[in-house]
Amino acid sequence: MSVEHRFLVRELKLVLARPGDFFKPMWFLILVISMVPLALSPDSKLLGEIGSAMIWVATLLALLLNADQLFRDDFVDGVLEQWLFFNRPLFWLVILKLFCHWLFYVVPLILVTPLAGMMLSVPNDVMIALLVTLLLATPALTCFSALGAALTLGTARSGILGVLVMLPLFVPVIILAAGVLTRASDGSDILPLLALLGAFSIAAATLLPLAVGVALRLNIGGSS
Amino acid sequence: MGWRWFHEWGSPKWFYDRAGRWQRVCGFLALALLLVGTLWGLGFAPADYQQGNSYRIIYLHVPVAFLAQALYVAMAVCAIVLFVWKMKLADVGMQALAVVGFGFTVLALFSGSIWGKPTWGTYWVWDARLTSMLILGFLYLGLIGLRSAIQNPDQAGKACAILVLVGVVNLPIIKYSVEWWSALHQPASFKLTEKPAMPASMWVPLLINLLGYYLVAAYLVLASMRTVILDRERGSAWVREVIERD
Repeated sequence: MSVEHRFLVRELKLVLARPGDFFKPMWFLILVISMVPLALSPDSKLLGEIGSAMIWVATLLALLLNADQLFRDDFVDGVLEQWLFFNRPLFWLVILKLFCHWLFYVVPLILVTPLAGMMLSVPNDVMIALLVTLLLATPALTCFSALGAALTLGTARSGILGVLVMLPLFVPVIILAAGVLTRASDGSDILPLLALLGAFSIAAATLLPLAVGVALRLNIGGSS
Repeated sequence: MGWRWFHEWGSPKWFYDRAGRWQRVCGFLALALLLVGTLWGLGFAPADYQQGNSYRIIYLHVPVAFLAQALYVAMAVCAIVLFVWKMKLADVGMQALAVVGFGFTVLALFSGSIWGKPTWGTYWVWDARLTSMLILGFLYLGLIGLRSAIQNPDQAGKACAILVLVGVVNLPIIKYSVEWWSALHQPASFKLTEKPAMPASMWVPLLINLLGYYLVAAYLVLASMRTVILDRERGSAWVREVIERD
């Protein structure tokens, strides 16, 4: 078995070993969404208008729930040190790790959002646009939160710091996604903005793992 | 021209002494320029035909907003220097620039919202430029937070450098956001390539104040760098001498 194959199998086993981490973000998302009509009003027309934006923000927060844990366990039990001795470059392992995280934690969360859309009576065509923006935007978001997690890895009580540091960098993604959603709701062409969003994600997914690798090396070796 | 300058810049003591002199020069020049620019701007420049006298806050707002962004670029240069030449001084500079830059960002947002009330009728609008300034403030704050969270100063410096370089992606977005969304905020008052739309009696004092605030920023950064150096080198003999001397 190649290194990549074993890596993926190990990540899958880790997900299966901790089903709590798998379900918690979904639980959080549905819970937050059920608070919205209670806090605002049960008027389905109003909810339909702001619903997609609420779901976007709630999904973003749910994603950040696990972000701090991304490298924490591997760091504590010494797996990250072993990464340095693989015959693969560090950024490649980071890409694998982030891909696994995206596939096993983020995509299932996105698949739950239609349920949240029904709860807030979001129109179908907007819901489809919402799903596409989430699928296109989450690779970038995963990479940014990974960098936050990697930078704060060595701190004893990092807690929410990694999220606070990285959240400002999410802004372009959020603006583009919001643009797609407004255009989808008034029926105009969303493809140009989706292309920009995809381009941003591709750039983030190819460049940020390098930065994450440097940040991890900082914490593993003490100083490089 | 040998490599002597490189070693000199690597010595904290040499920089501490030099920076003290530069700091005084910057301080006096800044005081003179700001005195001229501010008096001219507030007292003698003509009133705006639409905004009346309320536009005069431009003589604070524009230089400060300009610097809030320029200091981030300076920080990015420091980050590159730290990575390429492993120069400790660049890290000290980064630490000082983050704090001063955050201060200027807060001042820019504050003076902007004071200006917004009489002209737009509100303290805050979610305009592209205001929003990106707010985000810039959060980036500065994140850097300060990250540095204070990591105990080892070497590690903290490199972590901050990574964050600065990733965050520099945000700066073009700040600069071009006005053209992208072209919302409520007026486009930049100064362009290097075009003649400003204001009469000279308005923009000359603005230019003087801009230079003045640049020197204020230099003064603050140098002062802050000297403090950081004293703190980091607190175990060494020359720091003890300096502290006993003053």
